[in-house]
Amino acid sequence: MECFSLLRSDVPALINHLGDFGEVIAPHGKGDVSYSFEVVKDNSEVVLDYNRTLLPLKKMFLPPVEKLMDFSLKEVTYEKVDVAITPRVFFAVHSYEMQSILRLDHSMLSGSAESNYFKRRQSSRFVGISFKPDEFHFSDSVGIAIEDMEGFDLFLNEVDGDFQLYVITDHGQTLIDGFDRKELTTPEIVDGREFKKKIRYHYNRLPRVFQYAYHSDVWADVASQCVGCGACNLTCPTCFCFDVQDEVTVTAEDGMRQRNWDSCMLSTFAEVAGGENFREKTVNRTRHRLYRKFKYITDEEGLPWCVGCGRCTAFCPAGISLPDIVNELIQEDEKAQYHRTVRV
Amino acid sequence: MKPQVAFFDFTSCEGCQLNKLNFENDLLDILKHVDLVEFREAMDDKADHYDIAFIEGSITSPSCVERIHDIRRRSDVLVALGSCAVNGGVNAMKNMHPIDEVRETVYGEDKYLFATLPAMAVSSVVKVDYEVRGCPMTQQDFLKLLIALVLGKQPPKYGSPVCVECKLKENECLYNRGMVCLGPITRGGCDAICPSFGQFCTGCRGILDDPNIDGMLEVMTSHGISLDEAKKRMQLYNSNEVQL
Repeated sequence: MECFSLLRSDVPALINHLGDFGEVIAPHGKGDVSYSFEVVKDNSEVVLDYNRTLLPLKKMFLPPVEKLMDFSLKEVTYEKVDVAITPRVFFAVHSYEMQSILRLDHSMLSGSAESNYFKRRQSSRFVGISFKPDEFHFSDSVGIAIEDMEGFDLFLNEVDGDFQLYVITDHGQTLIDGFDRKELTTPEIVDGREFKKKIRYHYNRLPRVFQYAYHSDVWADVASQCVGCGACNLTCPTCFCFDVQDEVTVTAEDGMRQRNWDSCMLSTFAEVAGGENFREKTVNRTRHRLYRKFKYITDEEGLPWCVGCGRCTAFCPAGISLPDIVNELIQEDEKAQYHRTVRV
Repeated sequence: MKPQVAFFDFTSCEGCQLNKLNFENDLLDILKHVDLVEFREAMDDKADHYDIAFIEGSITSPSCVERIHDIRRRSDVLVALGSCAVNGGVNAMKNMHPIDEVRETVYGEDKYLFATLPAMAVSSVVKVDYEVRGCPMTQQDFLKLLIALVLGKQPPKYGSPVCVECKLKENECLYNRGMVCLGPITRGGCDAICPSFGQFCTGCRGILDDPNIDGMLEVMTSHGISLDEAKKRMQLYNSNEVQL
C-alpha cells in the first residue's frame, strides 16, 4: 500500500481530479448543526470534519423513496424504471459507513440480488476519511476502527490538520493517476482518537448476552421512554426494510408503484390483513430492533449488524442510547451469572 | 352512472372546502369521475340522496346533531373532512372549560338564546366511513381518497408519525434547532410539510392510535418548556383525544 502526503489546501484539487471519473458525492452542511451526503457542485462546500450525516450513505444505493414502475389501468400494462449505471465517487466517507455498505451488500445481493441496488452499486468508488469520535460514536466496540480501510479505494488519514493519502486498491491507483503526489513527511502514528462511548463487552460476547435477554425488564424501561417515531431505524445505515405502495393519478387511468423505507419501530410495520399485529406493543418492537442488530443476522454471519455510527442515539428525540441498552443487558446478565455461580 | 357527491359544512372555518375549489388543473378531471349535487360554496342545487357525503366541521349544537343525522340517513358513504370533523379540532379546546363559562364569554348576557354542546367529532354522533385529516385537509390526501372510492378500493390509512416522512426527506430535526415539535406522535401523511419549511408540527392530523403520551411530555419538557405548556401544545388540535 502506497502512502502520500496531502495538504488540506490541496483537497479541492483532489475532488476536482476525482470528478474526472464521475459524479463526486461528499458530506455537506445541512441546517444549523447537521450534515448530509450531496452531489458536489462547488467543492468549497464539502465538509471534511463532520460527525455523521443525517441519512446514511445507503440513500445513494437504496433511495428513501424510489419509483419502481409506471402502470396503466386502462391498457393493463406496466413499465419498469430503468436504473442507469453511472460512475460515482463517494468522498470523505467514515469507516463505519463503509462497513455498513458492505453489510448492505450482503443483505441486498446474497441470494437473489436486488437489481436496482446492484446497478447503483456498480462502478462506485470510495474515498475514506478518519474522524474524531463524538459522544455518540461507538464503532470501536463493534469491531470497526477509525482507520479501517476495508472497502475503500483511497483513504485520507488526518494528521495535524493535513492528511496521509493511502492508495488501497487498483481502482484507487487509477483514481489518482495524474494527480500530483507529495512524499510522506508526517509521522504515521496518530493519537487522540479515543471513543467516549463504549459497549463493555467485546462484540463476540454479545450474541450470548442476547440469548438470555429476551425476557429482560430492560425492554419495558426503554419502551416507556420511546415515543415510537421510527427515527432510529430510518437513520440506521444497515436497516433495509421497505414498504411498497401503488398510487393512481387523478385521471384514474394510470399510476406508479413506489417503495419507501420502512421502520420496524412503527406500530403499523407488523400489521397484516385482518388487523392482526405481530409486534403490537412498543416493548416488542424495541426488543426486535436490537435483536436484528446483535442476534438474528449475527448468528448467521458472525458480525454485529450495528456499525456504531451512533445515529439512532444522536437522532432519538427521547435520548434513548443503543450502547446504554446493551450495557444494561450486560449488567443484568452478569447479575444472573453471579447468582447461578453462587447457587452451585 | 357517476357517483353523486355533496359537501356540507358544520362548525369550521370552511377552509377545507375552499381548498377543493383551488384544485385548478385537476378540477376538470375530478368532475369526470363524480357529479356534484350539493356544495354551498360553489353552487345552489340541492339533492335528496348522496352516494358520497363529505362533512366539514365539528358538531357543536343541537341543530348540528339534527342536521348530521338527516345527512347520514340520505348518504351511502360519509367522509369526515379535516381536523374539526375528524376529532373536533381546535373547536374542541372549548371542552376544557365549563360550558356556561364558554357561552358567557362569547355571547355575554344573551347566552340563553344560544344552545351549545361540547365540540364533537362527526364520528361521535353518526357513523363515519372514511376520514381525511389535517388542518386544512391537503388536496393530495383528498384526491387519493376520492380516486380510491371511485375505483372501489380501500383509501390509504396513515398510521405512522410525521417523523417518518420528515426523516425520508432528510430534514434536520427541529429539536436540534431548538424547537419543540409534535412530529413523533402526530399522524403523518402530510409529507411533513411544516417541518420541511422550518415550522414545528402542531399536531393537526391527530395523535397516533397508540401514543406514548407520558414519554412525549417527557421529551417536550426536557427541551425546555413547562409541563403545562407541553400539555397545551398537545391539546391544541387534540383536546378530545388527549385527556390530561
